[in-house]
Amino acid sequence: MKEAELAIIGGGPGGIVAAIEAAKAGVMVTLLDENPRPGGQIYRQFEKGFKVTDPEVLGGDYEKGLDLLNQFSSLGDKIKYMNNATVWGIFDNNTLAFARNGFSSSLSYGKLLVANGAYDRPVPFPGWTLPGVLTAGGAQKLVKTERILPGKKILIAGTGPLQLVLAHQILAAGGKIEAILEAGNLNKNWFQGLRGIWGNWDYLKEGWKYLRSIQKSGVPLLHNHIILEARGDGQVEEAVFAKVDENWRPKPGTERTVKVDTICSGYGLVPSTELTMLAECEHKYDNLLGGYIPVRNENMETTVPGIYAVGDGAGVAGSKVAIEQGRIAGTAIACSLERISKAFADKSIKHARKRLNRYNRLRKVLDQISMPRAGLYELARDDTVICRCEEITLKEIKTAMADSTTQVKDLKRKTRVGMGPCEGRMCGPALIEILRNHSNTSPEGHGYLNPRPPIKPIALGVLAAGQQKLEI
Amino acid sequence: MGLEDKRVHKGVEKGAPFEITVDGKKIIAYQGETVGAALMAAGQRTLRYTDKKKRPRGLYCGIGLCQECRMVINGVANTQACQTLATPGCRVETQKSEKKRGIEN
Repeated sequence: MKEAELAIIGGGPGGIVAAIEAAKAGVMVTLLDENPRPGGQIYRQFEKGFKVTDPEVLGGDYEKGLDLLNQFSSLGDKIKYMNNATVWGIFDNNTLAFARNGFSSSLSYGKLLVANGAYDRPVPFPGWTLPGVLTAGGAQKLVKTERILPGKKILIAGTGPLQLVLAHQILAAGGKIEAILEAGNLNKNWFQGLRGIWGNWDYLKEGWKYLRSIQKSGVPLLHNHIILEARGDGQVEEAVFAKVDENWRPKPGTERTVKVDTICSGYGLVPSTELTMLAECEHKYDNLLGGYIPVRNENMETTVPGIYAVGDGAGVAGSKVAIEQGRIAGTAIACSLERISKAFADKSIKHARKRLNRYNRLRKVLDQISMPRAGLYELARDDTVICRCEEITLKEIKTAMADSTTQVKDLKRKTRVGMGPCEGRMCGPALIEILRNHSNTSPEGHGYLNPRPPIKPIALGVLAAGQQKLEI
Repeated sequence: MGLEDKRVHKGVEKGAPFEITVDGKKIIAYQGETVGAALMAAGQRTLRYTDKKKRPRGLYCGIGLCQECRMVINGVANTQACQTLATPGCRVETQKSEKKRGIEN
């Protein structure tokens, strides 16, 4: 008898909806969430002590989130929710290990669903380690849930709709943005993408709202522009940016400098695949979906039977897609556990599949605009740190590459890249692209940094404290 | 830079303010804020210096992954400022070097 009939890792929209669907069909679910409260990054709730006086400032996502979270908590007799639980390993015999409240415990499961989400794509450029350069996601968390502006004069530099959302939130909070740099071109691709856009009216309405608020504020939104460098003595004081060609390579003579104290770097997201990799699920490289992603069938099941993956961690596509994938996976799991018939399952996810197809059409248009181009990973100079933890520069990586290193894991062995406490999350995506640029090959040929347990730094004392008796 | 400059009061009321100590100086934090956010509001960007090259680092990913915001909080080194809620009277120090590693209290 397994301790959890279905274990779900991650309390964002994908994990929550999968839990709801499976629990409604009678499956006993244990959901392990790293955060203190369910909701993930997108429906992140306020800490105790904050009181919302005007729901308007929270945006539509928040209300949608509350609705899902209410459904989730109403199924409390079927869903065991464990907050502050950091899953750090997946082992043989359907067992996972997690740290929680100073103890490490293991949990055996029948089925496993990984809904681990994504994080901001780290992009190395000269000066990117200066205090004052932060990711768009980090800045968004500060503004949205901590109610603190990241700076007084802000530059937003990156690509895609997420940075427009951030700009809107900063402006609504009364912050000052000097400029928004969009490496791609949002205007140019609209018409070509009309087939993809058709039918996705709520997405468009939302996008339009953000664009309008930026336009009204007078903040310049510069298409085909990229940040080249952050400068300052001990912290950001100015930024250098330039116009780029379609491969995001700067056009000589177009450089400009702007005085700012904060740079928000937002080049989309990369999937968190450490757990599906640890579980030895097969992964493939997909440039449009953010990098390496687990290979899945139409029920969201990976190549390891009984392990499912949904949401941004299985391919970056946003919360609406995560919700539909969660619905499909939760229903498919209930069906495989014989709680509902195949006919019933098919019928109840028919609409989810339709919506998913519609969203995916739009995603493709947006992803074409924002997919990282070759120039993005050429911004670093020889003395630019690529591995922030171990302080390994591009020059050291080049030396290793000259020694015919083609695999990311060999770079790690030779230079110590990826061996620090972030465990390769910050340098990993760049290493693949640097190797690819160097050898002019496909990214897939260079492999990836193999995650090792524990996938997050866990104090030795926590591991030594041993098992805490689980009350399941 | 004034202490309250970067706090947004529109739409959300914060809990009670209190003092925390950062490198011996007192700054204000509100119930529900992380140490990293309170420092950001106070205009302190540098949270640690790197071991090898002694370079300053600040909040980067902001969601607990990059490990750049590791500080010495209540005597415990390598504590992530972006993941640690500020509490009245908590002692925060800029993390300077490997000597500061491990549990000190």
